Amino acid sequence: MTDVMTQPSASEPAMAAARRLRVQELTLPFVLVALVIAGAVIDSDVFLTKDNLLTVLTQASVVGVVAIGMTFVIATGGIDLSVGSMLAAAAIAGGQFEPSGSGAFIAATIGFAVLLGLVNGLAISWGRIVPFIATLAMLTVARGLALWMSDKTPISLTFLDTVRSLGRDEVVGVPVPAFVFVAVAAIGWVVLNRTRYGRHVVAVGGNREAARIAGIKPNRVVCSVYVLSGLCVGIAAVLLSGRLGSASPVAGSLLELDAIAAVVIGGTSLAGGRATVVGTFLGVVTFALIFNLLNLLEMPAEIQQITRGLIILAAAAIQRRDR
Amino acid sequence: MTPVLEVRGLTKHYPGANALEDAGLVVEAGQVHCLVGQNGAGKSTLIKCVSGAVRPTSGTVEVDGEPLPPGDPVAAFRAGIATIYQELDLVADLTVTENLFLGHELHRVGFIDRRASAAAARELLGRLGHDEIRPGALVGELRPAQQQIVSLARALSRRARVLIMDEPSAVLDDQEVEAMFRAIRRLTAEGVGIVYISHRLDEVATVGDTITVLKDGRTVASALPATTPAAELIAHMIGRDLGDLFPDTGSSVGESVALRVRGLTRRPVVDGVDLDVHAGEIVGIGGLVGAGRTELLRLIQGLDRAEAGTVEVDGVVIRPGRPDLSVRAGVGFTPEERKSQGLWPGWSLTRNVSVAALGRFRRAFLLDRRSERDDARTHLRSLATTPDDPDRLVAELSGGNQQKVVLARWLLRDCKVLLLDEPTRGVDVGAKAEIYRVIRTLADGGLALLLVSSELNELVGLCDRVLVVREGRVVAELAGDELSEEKILEEALAR
Repeated sequence: MTDVMTQPSASEPAMAAARRLRVQELTLPFVLVALVIAGAVIDSDVFLTKDNLLTVLTQASVVGVVAIGMTFVIATGGIDLSVGSMLAAAAIAGGQFEPSGSGAFIAATIGFAVLLGLVNGLAISWGRIVPFIATLAMLTVARGLALWMSDKTPISLTFLDTVRSLGRDEVVGVPVPAFVFVAVAAIGWVVLNRTRYGRHVVAVGGNREAARIAGIKPNRVVCSVYVLSGLCVGIAAVLLSGRLGSASPVAGSLLELDAIAAVVIGGTSLAGGRATVVGTFLGVVTFALIFNLLNLLEMPAEIQQITRGLIILAAAAIQRRDR
Repeated sequence: MTPVLEVRGLTKHYPGANALEDAGLVVEAGQVHCLVGQNGAGKSTLIKCVSGAVRPTSGTVEVDGEPLPPGDPVAAFRAGIATIYQELDLVADLTVTENLFLGHELHRVGFIDRRASAAAARELLGRLGHDEIRPGALVGELRPAQQQIVSLARALSRRARVLIMDEPSAVLDDQEVEAMFRAIRRLTAEGVGIVYISHRLDEVATVGDTITVLKDGRTVASALPATTPAAELIAHMIGRDLGDLFPDTGSSVGESVALRVRGLTRRPVVDGVDLDVHAGEIVGIGGLVGAGRTELLRLIQGLDRAEAGTVEVDGVVIRPGRPDLSVRAGVGFTPEERKSQGLWPGWSLTRNVSVAALGRFRRAFLLDRRSERDDARTHLRSLATTPDDPDRLVAELSGGNQQKVVLARWLLRDCKVLLLDEPTRGVDVGAKAEIYRVIRTLADGGLALLLVSSELNELVGLCDRVLVVREGRVVAELAGDELSEEKILEEALAR
């Protein structure tokens, strides 16, 4: 008797859990496995080497760190179009302190990015400007600042050993940028899923009015995610400058598109209220693997661009069907 | 003579609630037929069935003796049914003429014939006695009363046989109402039948020819003459025994004032409201839709900023316009619009319950998810929520159980004052009794409750005291023997 009674109730939560597992969460790992198999078939000698895979992760790190910040922004239903320009402006701002050494460069770069993010956040939360417009404005302002402060020429960072090693060195065989990317993703995951702050972020994105009634301060939360995005941009700016050995005023152009695309194919809802850091991580890695493969196949850059667009379209279509 | 509109046996069942049950309505050509009833009596559903916006479960709608296909707005429109909703469906950025002929533009070889349109517009407005409205004016720049006239003219331009007006006077002042009545008279003179929905019984007596009363989705009185005394209409609108839907009103009212409101004002919706709610007391707020009831709750909670006045919780003044401080001081609010303002439908029950009290689950910055889930379940069980599996999605629950989820949220928060806006809206009758029991239990536990309701029996059956709000002011306080449905309605309707 009890068996008959408990059986259906036991399967019910499982059913509910299955329903909650969304299409993308299953799709992306599949796509990744498929890519690895494809890579192995195409050119296993190069593709499946540890060096190549670490290169993929390293190349993905700049976009990846930015995409983690972008995940928080999109979780609130916002968007940050200014990340590419902010990255350049932050690196150039840091470059002004090049004579004072690596510490000053890093502090100034990250500090300036956070400041620009704060401007975005204030304009959007208390200023009530639509995120798309506010960050579009910041996109051009920050790029202008970068060109102006640098007099349109890159600033060499050749003598900043610490910065350069952050972009190039390896720790126990793993390049530092890949380390940083994984670390930022891990922290992002904990913050989003295991802290009160993270819960407030998705609460505001999912239902702003209900959040307000529940005693959450939506303006403060909305403002903070743009500051967070700025922080991630600052970290990415240090990594990129270190790799290039210079701070360039034209760096990071179209970075926002790559970051947003990775977040969206990862499964975070553009409407807000639903966000997954794991998805974003997988999205970034998927993109990087695809380009690695296309490079191995010696596909020209224009074909790669077309492929990128088609992937974004396909991902968006899956997300739509999932609603 | 065949009536211009005849509705027979109209029934509409929604999951968990029956909005209409065998309702009927007969409108003669050239008559103004008034439809009255309490909020939620089924008036809106009835007119939506007539206009085809809602497909009835069963029943027929006939225009000039011809049955309409159910749930087909285009067919209803072609048959000559025009509806003017409370929110006018005019396009503010188009001109009067463009609005009048929107969807059936006068054209010549594919181009809009502007001159003929303007002339036709002028003629239509003239027929309603409003040639002061320029056809070229933008509708957004007209006064609400003039916009109403444009809506009437549009109905006329479509050769409407039946014109349905839902609370048309809500946004108008007395003179404007007069002007609208004159326009209505011109329409009826042309043989149009009018269905006029209004809460204002004095208006019904002025403009109406016949009256039909709806209650709980049924026609309880039809073809009453417009001269029917208001008291008799009110009796029809209420007429029901309460049965044992409600728990006994307890004697839990404490000495201390948990919520004290003084001079709370935000013009024009709330104007100088004073009220006290004691610990353990259930105070009801009655009044018509639009009298300022919801706005009052929102001001108390700080969701809107008050222009003047104070809100005190346990003697501590709360800064206006700060819902976060209000929540911290122990005020909870369950909004009428549960889905859009109270819940995250795609979230689990746990998350919906814990969202206002996450601070208590913080262990060194991380959330203790096990105790979060356990505490949520404890409170869901104490309210007999079904299902009480904290991992289920809240969207999978019925309306009554969703309401319990919102209540559980505030219990977990340990709030002292709970503001309830239409707590049983969209809840079926069985679940209503359950919600009433929960509310009474909360009061017995020492919570101070302030409850807005459109359901008079709820106010009378559940509350220790009822404040009637009219035009943003508290106009009456009823308790004990004075507290009756008739008395509330009388105070709410008086002008």
